[in-house]
Amino acid sequence: MSPLTPQSSPLSSPFAHNNQSVRQLMFKVQLAVIPALLVHIYLFGFGIVIQWVLAFATLLVVEFTMLKLRNRPVRPFITDMSAMITATVLVFCIPAGAPWWIIVSGTAFALIFGKHIYGGLGYNPFNPAMLGYAFLLLSFPVQMTQWTAPTEILDYAVSFTNSLHLIFTGNLPQAALGANLDMISAATPLSQLQIGLTQGQGVTESLTPIALEAQTHYQNGSVINGFFYSTAQFFSLNSWAWVNVAFLIGGLWLLAVRAIRWQYPVGFLSSLSLISFIFYTIDPNTYPPVDFMLLSGGTMLAAFFIITDPVTSSTTPKGRFIFACGIGILVYVIRTWGIFPDGITFAVLLMNIAVPLIDQYTQPRVYGHK
Amino acid sequence: MNATFMHTFIRPLAILYPMAKRWLHRFHGGVFPQTYKSLSLKHPIKSTPIPERLILPVKQLSGQKVAWHVAVGDTVQKNQCLVRAAKENKKGIIVPIHAPTSGVIHAIEMRPLPHPSGLNALSIIIKPDFKDSALNNALNVNGEVPETPQQLKDILLNAGIVGLGGAGFPTFAKLPNQTGIINTLIMNGAECEPFITCDDVLMQTHAQDILKGAVMIAQILGIPSIICGIEENKPAAIQAMNAAAKRLTKKTSQINITIQTLPAVYPMGGEKQLIQELTGIEIPAKTHAIDSGLLVFNVATFAAIFKAITLGEPLTQRLVTVAGLGLKHSYNTYALLGTPFLTLANAGQPTHSIQDPLIMGGPMMGFQVADNHVPVIKTTNCILVQPPKPATEIMVMPCIRCGECMDACPVNLLPQQMFWHSQAHEFDKVEKLNIFDCIECGCCSYVCPSHIPLVQFYRHAKSEIKHNHAEQQAAELAKQRHEFRLARIEREKQEREARIKAKKAAVKKQAQKPSDASSAKSAAMKAAAARAAAKRATQQESKQEIEQSAQADEISQNSPPPLSARQKAIDTAKKQAAAKVGSKVAPNKDPRTSAKQAAKKAAAMAAAKRRAQTSLKNDSNVTAPKTEAKTDSNANPTQTTEHSKQTMNDKRTQAMEAAKKRAAERKAQQESP
Repeated sequence: MSPLTPQSSPLSSPFAHNNQSVRQLMFKVQLAVIPALLVHIYLFGFGIVIQWVLAFATLLVVEFTMLKLRNRPVRPFITDMSAMITATVLVFCIPAGAPWWIIVSGTAFALIFGKHIYGGLGYNPFNPAMLGYAFLLLSFPVQMTQWTAPTEILDYAVSFTNSLHLIFTGNLPQAALGANLDMISAATPLSQLQIGLTQGQGVTESLTPIALEAQTHYQNGSVINGFFYSTAQFFSLNSWAWVNVAFLIGGLWLLAVRAIRWQYPVGFLSSLSLISFIFYTIDPNTYPPVDFMLLSGGTMLAAFFIITDPVTSSTTPKGRFIFACGIGILVYVIRTWGIFPDGITFAVLLMNIAVPLIDQYTQPRVYGHK
Repeated sequence: MNATFMHTFIRPLAILYPMAKRWLHRFHGGVFPQTYKSLSLKHPIKSTPIPERLILPVKQLSGQKVAWHVAVGDTVQKNQCLVRAAKENKKGIIVPIHAPTSGVIHAIEMRPLPHPSGLNALSIIIKPDFKDSALNNALNVNGEVPETPQQLKDILLNAGIVGLGGAGFPTFAKLPNQTGIINTLIMNGAECEPFITCDDVLMQTHAQDILKGAVMIAQILGIPSIICGIEENKPAAIQAMNAAAKRLTKKTSQINITIQTLPAVYPMGGEKQLIQELTGIEIPAKTHAIDSGLLVFNVATFAAIFKAITLGEPLTQRLVTVAGLGLKHSYNTYALLGTPFLTLANAGQPTHSIQDPLIMGGPMMGFQVADNHVPVIKTTNCILVQPPKPATEIMVMPCIRCGECMDACPVNLLPQQMFWHSQAHEFDKVEKLNIFDCIECGCCSYVCPSHIPLVQFYRHAKSEIKHNHAEQQAAELAKQRHEFRLARIEREKQEREARIKAKKAAVKKQAQKPSDASSAKSAAMKAAAARAAAKRATQQESKQEIEQSAQADEISQNSPPPLSARQKAIDTAKKQAAAKVGSKVAPNKDPRTSAKQAAKKAAAMAAAKRRAQTSLKNDSNVTAPKTEAKTDSNANPTQTTEHSKQTMNDKRTQAMEAAKKRAAERKAQQESP
């Protein structure tokens, strides 16, 4: 009865199954990313598509090699789509215009050192994507912080060929504006805020340029632009916030189809909201407002796609909630007082370490054991 | 009120989020498999088929003997008692077996059991005569409700009624001895397993019988309220039961009867789950429902109880669902106990000739039978011909800790952690996670996206843990014995040393003070001699007394020499024994050799069997222990070695006794001239 043995039919009951499979589960997660992907393409250009293709190619090679080396059947494990999610999450975490070797080395590191050396799917203690991201952030800090600016700041869309050129050569073709790399990269709102705060500016002063940028960009133009303009004006939603909203939509769908559990997003978002609300109330000039915290950086990506990885998170219902709350608080702490603009990676990895302990102390009461 | 509000709110929500249905019931988890119940419901009840042979396995428990009321070749009537627990069983939980139809006892031999183990059991094979002539009122009841619980228990035992829901525990043994202990009688009409509809059909057709049976039990045991739980997917049954309850309530107003509609969720029919749903009571771990004042029976059990009490009819048939995706015509029928599975399955027009093993029970908790010719037994509620095939090829993947199993577990266990530890053979940790509270409902395996056979792992772990505990106990006992032995040896050694020391000291003293010591010694010796003499005298007296009483009726002498008296006593005993043997041993020519051969050779066995049968026929009602032992061993040659060893020992002692008696006879003859 060892796992991995295919069976034509079970030898003992139950003889029925709800016909769910790991592949289906992972596929649902993959589907839920699509809104965010589309929004990202529209607002940041095609860079992410190229990165995604690179990541996919890398994962095929790495998975095949590792499964062969580990003497495991290749087809069922390469098609379980779990590696796809690792790669997809990583693609969303890195700058869209990062050089090609960033995503390739990151994906390879995530899959090999994050998953396979622990025994493959189901046995890894750390979130592979986050491990890959941490590796990249610590090894290549410069490339990892050159964020591609959204079209609302550039005022023009970086074309597919230009993105391709940028990713593989590190420069834009001379024909395109004759511009250098600095001209198409910009700080994310989180880093903008951090820079602003270190320079003695208040929260509002640091963030106003971003909001204005979006409003001016979408002032004239098509219906879609009009939509983004009004959201920018009334809800001060910038491009990064929009990607977050798209993740939120995909995540809600995942909740409905039970691909993820409610304790993760609820615990994470509520603890993050609560702690930022408390500090914002204490000093609104030093600490950013709640909505900014929730819709910047990788908050929603983390809430629905990163911390929900069942393998590396707590399994008991209470444990999941505690795990998620822990991440929420750590994210705020690192964003506010740490040296990294976004703290999700380290928050997740730290809480991964605590999982066995949480599981031990949050076992539910069994029927009849009062 | 609250419940209806919840229902109106949650039902529409379930369209968006199917698992919202889990909020409709009170116990944790549960799953919603496709029911397939319409397959067998759309056809009327099929008439009872009488097969060529009926196979009735005799349940045997270690250390419990059964008393045979029939032998091979006997003609039996329907409802006639064939075998029951022997009277000497102190705690008999074997219920009697009755003939399901009239016919001839064809054989008594080993046949495969409908059990997951696929073991064989001694079975009575009846060749029906197709007349179906029945004994009326076989249980000799007066048709009136018994007054005391004990009377009720006697009827239920005689009727051979066991729980018809699945576990098959004898019903009489489940009932309390006193009235007033139970406050609620629960009727289990949930029937949550897919495919099975026999309880549904029974409630539609015999609602009155079921409820009357329940009311009788309630009256005898002084139970104030009866609750019947039926899943909402059986509207016809609910209607019939409600109508019957209304009629009955008019007659018996002191008992409160409630028919409650339950949300359809598996495993609603589990005893503890049903209790929690109906009463909100959570049965504490390691206790039974009866400890909480609750008594739960399946609806079919109530119908059987009613028949036994009013008509004196024993349990010889039951409603069985024969269904599956491999049948064109799934149906329900009153199957005679002992009908082979394959006979019933073939009556359902199988789409292909049946090659795969049939399943007894539903797809969630049933099991594959080792042989498709196994018979219907009292707990066979369903014969499943082909469970739904998985949509995709099953590939067991690693656990991704998704927690679906945990959310589905009706007992709120942590299946994935139990799996993790049982895979690593860390059974102490598995036990700590309360594996023994697992009801093996299979919900975890049903929902596992990795298709891990979780419940199978738990069954294995449970048996391993039990095994380990037994071993531990044995080791502990051995250890205690060993320690005791060491302590004893040590004590004896110390005592010996102390004695030697004392002796040495005495010798030393003597050497030092010869005069003192010698006088003391002589005094001591005198005293000892006196004590010994007194002792001898009393012994002599008591010995004489014993001997006197031994031969008081024959000889009256005042002081006979001890040896001759004993000899005489032995002689008289032998004579008595010889006289007995003369009357009894006659038919057995040479018991010693026959016993040896019977144990060793099959030919001799057959001979012994024939003899045993003739002797049985001679006095079929008397169950002398000797003949019983014989039939047991002969009809049952391949049974456990322990059993045969025991009978061999029996025979050996018998033979030895007989030999002794013969010797005594010879002696007597020699002496007499």
